[in-house]
Amino acid sequence: MHPTRSYADARTIALTAMLVAVGAILGLLESAVVPPLPVPGIRIGLANLAVVLALTVGGRVMALRVSLLRVLIVAVATGALGGPGMLMALAGASASWATMAVLSMNTSISPIGWSVAGAAMHILAQLAVASLLTGTMTPLFLAPIGLALATICGLCIGYSARLLISRLPLEQMVMDSR
Amino acid sequence: MTSGDRIVIAIVAVAAIVSWPVVRMAAGAGPADTVVITGPSLIRRLPLDSSERLVVNGVKGAVTVVVRNRSVHIVEADCPDQSCVHQGRIGSRGQTIVCAPNGVSVWIGGGEDAPDAVVR
Repeated sequence: MHPTRSYADARTIALTAMLVAVGAILGLLESAVVPPLPVPGIRIGLANLAVVLALTVGGRVMALRVSLLRVLIVAVATGALGGPGMLMALAGASASWATMAVLSMNTSISPIGWSVAGAAMHILAQLAVASLLTGTMTPLFLAPIGLALATICGLCIGYSARLLISRLPLEQMVMDSR
Repeated sequence: MTSGDRIVIAIVAVAAIVSWPVVRMAAGAGPADTVVITGPSLIRRLPLDSSERLVVNGVKGAVTVVVRNRSVHIVEADCPDQSCVHQGRIGSRGQTIVCAPNGVSVWIGGGEDAPDAVVR
């Protein structure tokens, strides 16, 4: 075993685990709060904070791991494993990660922008899955309010992420593999 | 905040604003007079003025929809979070109550309104 390589792996694991924990806790908080829109299982997207942090500090792959793992953990913890809530959360997490990953490759967009776009896709994907589940267009009618909420929430999360990154020594954990 | 951020935020904000009239049009224009209740194996239209208690068989169990006094609400439902029950009454056009775990949705439209397509 190459010593340098296993050292880097340990740091990656530790950082990923920490961010998954943050994301999972935020996700559980979200599920305990009254849903912002009248669709059961919809989330505001607080847990995106962990994904944005992962994206900034650990790279796209780590961000993907963090977003999928925290959905899984929250689903297990709330007993919604495999249910419609988890489907919506997976769709939201995947869509928002994909959007944020693409935007992160553009140097003129900061984590604030990623967060707003990610939040918007998060909500739209959840509404789309809810529409498929109910077989009607009605959840999609909530898109305007959902997008408005996403903009606000995305801005808050984006600024929080920026604040955290500037105050915490996360730079020490920046991976070369980004 | 960078200039790129401003563009992203502007796009999302514009999308939110532009989708508003689009959604209003999709929900139709005119007085609200029909309640459309959709479940996994049925679709029912009831006049908003009627007094009815409809039990819909959802994916997980039964969902009871009550139409009375020109308002609709879900009285009880077989679902884990009950947010559809807590939502209370809807009474105007375009408003919806959705029970996603059961695949049931309740929507107020008018006249010739109906979902454009029902995907099974």
